[in-house]
Amino acid sequence: MTVYFAEEGALLKFLKTAGRGRTYAAVRREVGCEYAEVRPESEEQLSLREARPSASPKRFFTPPCERVASYSVSGADKPPPAADAEAPRTLVGLRACDLAAAQYLDKVFLEGEFQEPGYAARRKTQIVISVDCTSIHKNCFCDVVGGRPFAMGGFDLNISPLAKGYVVWVGSERGQALVDAHKGLFREARPEELEEVKRQRQKTSEELQKQNQGLKLTDHLLGLLGKLEDSDEWRKHAARCVECAACTNICPTCHCFYLYDRAAGKGRFERIKTWDSCLTADYSRMAGVGGVKPNPRPRLRTRFANRFMHKYSYSPQQYGLLGCTGCGRCMEACFGAVDIRKVLKEIEQSESVGAKSKEERG
Amino acid sequence: MTVTNPYEVQISPLVEVIDETPTIKTFVFEPAEPIRFRAGQFVQVTVPGLGEAPFTPSSSPYELERLAVTVLKTGLVTDRMHDCRPGDGLGLRGPYGKGYPLEKLGGKDVLIVGGGVGLAPLRALILALLHDLSSIRRMSIKYGARLPAELLFRNQYDSWTSRDKVAMEVTVDAADASWQGNVGLVTALLAKDRLGVDIANTVAFSCGPGIMLKFVTKTLLDVGFKPEQIYLSMNRRMSCGIGKCGRCNIGPYYLCKDGPDMNYAKIMGYANVF
Repeated sequence: MTVYFAEEGALLKFLKTAGRGRTYAAVRREVGCEYAEVRPESEEQLSLREARPSASPKRFFTPPCERVASYSVSGADKPPPAADAEAPRTLVGLRACDLAAAQYLDKVFLEGEFQEPGYAARRKTQIVISVDCTSIHKNCFCDVVGGRPFAMGGFDLNISPLAKGYVVWVGSERGQALVDAHKGLFREARPEELEEVKRQRQKTSEELQKQNQGLKLTDHLLGLLGKLEDSDEWRKHAARCVECAACTNICPTCHCFYLYDRAAGKGRFERIKTWDSCLTADYSRMAGVGGVKPNPRPRLRTRFANRFMHKYSYSPQQYGLLGCTGCGRCMEACFGAVDIRKVLKEIEQSESVGAKSKEERG
Repeated sequence: MTVTNPYEVQISPLVEVIDETPTIKTFVFEPAEPIRFRAGQFVQVTVPGLGEAPFTPSSSPYELERLAVTVLKTGLVTDRMHDCRPGDGLGLRGPYGKGYPLEKLGGKDVLIVGGGVGLAPLRALILALLHDLSSIRRMSIKYGARLPAELLFRNQYDSWTSRDKVAMEVTVDAADASWQGNVGLVTALLAKDRLGVDIANTVAFSCGPGIMLKFVTKTLLDVGFKPEQIYLSMNRRMSCGIGKCGRCNIGPYYLCKDGPDMNYAKIMGYANVF
């Protein structure tokens, strides 16, 4: 497929107007940037050269609160379907880590015996335009979890910022159609521009490697994580956790949810799917006789451990993918300043503790 | 491509409510769209507007039109279910989960260990095996409840044991004046000399409270069972029932998708199993 080039002004105009349905893009804020709706006439400054936004774009894939079903009793009519569940949307400025998260969520919601129709509909109509990272956040560590600061797939179009202008890569027929519909804004990229992309990608990758020196997801570390679920080692890490669920909310791959039903008129009910967090005490508390409510993970440290284990040990077994994209957002969100990189490093050094704990467990 | 919505429920009127014990009732449905399940698979039952909870049917999977769940009154949803009467509409969706591995039981001895309301899902297994006893060598059922009045399906034991190959022993934690039988925990029925099975050639299934499962497992291992021979009905809170919402995991396994009956060898290495 042809690789294109667009000038700054042309590309910004294209991004604000070319998509289908509403457009949500990474836009500049006083501090950093965030994913927000942009309209053709809006003054919002697209953020294509800063590090990834602090909040992930997860809500565009699986909304915090969503009606997933409805039913009625005693002959009442069924509530009408939700209005804009399948309206097309265009997402602009997603980073490679965001696309890695989308790939993970696809596995969860689209694969296996049951598909989630709302998720499937959104993914089908969504246009995704991603951007290479040309600067990194101090918490970024995608290189450690097998990622790169630029996307190689999973997009309709991908943008590589140059010192002047942008190189645009086509990733799908839909992306090609968008370019074709605005031919006047693009020309074919020149070899020296592609060279510049290569240099820029190399530069960002090196910055990441420098930032994350000494942190490696070795087999040794992953093996330890698999054994440490109930270890005292977690006590000191979990001591900083205040169970606020900020990390699970901001995480691009955390997808735990809860279903509840509510009234929607006489004899009518709707089923709501809402984000949930495996860190909260009542997350897996069950009904029980005489007010005794069994809870398989009554202690915070075991819930804290479970979240780590899910990311680094269980997800690869379940989906063939790590549940962590290395975006580092959980560290920005955490009130207790839990640094996931530091936890991993300390676990790596705790082999003796792990062995002891296994013995204690019998 | 049309995707069926796994969260959609079928509102189904109760055709019968059976008082089993002071705290346990059986709810019988005849769903307009029959739910074909394998023994051990579960359904989600919705009390309209209140919420839903997972139950493994206690009825025979060969009874195609009817589906029954046997429920202990023990929380928000089950309390409200116990107030329901025939004609009331409840929501159903499913079946979900793997079901008991009946295909692995050919020529085997089958040991079934139940505690309290835990006999409910095991009845679906017992009835499925009774449907065609020729495939297994024999079946030994061990069942315990706290009190004689809390013994589930008490009027059916004789019809089960009237069949060749089937033996059953029952015990209660505390006897009353009417009780002439065994007194003690169900684990006492698992002593080597009264198991009634050839251990090396047996597959064991157990369902009951977590604490019971723990000691049943320990006892079975002590008398010579291998972890691979033991299947446990593991119960965790479930919301979606289809392996997506995250909450019912033991290690990498979601009980709703990979269970709820789990081979002990698969889960024994993980923390917080019992």
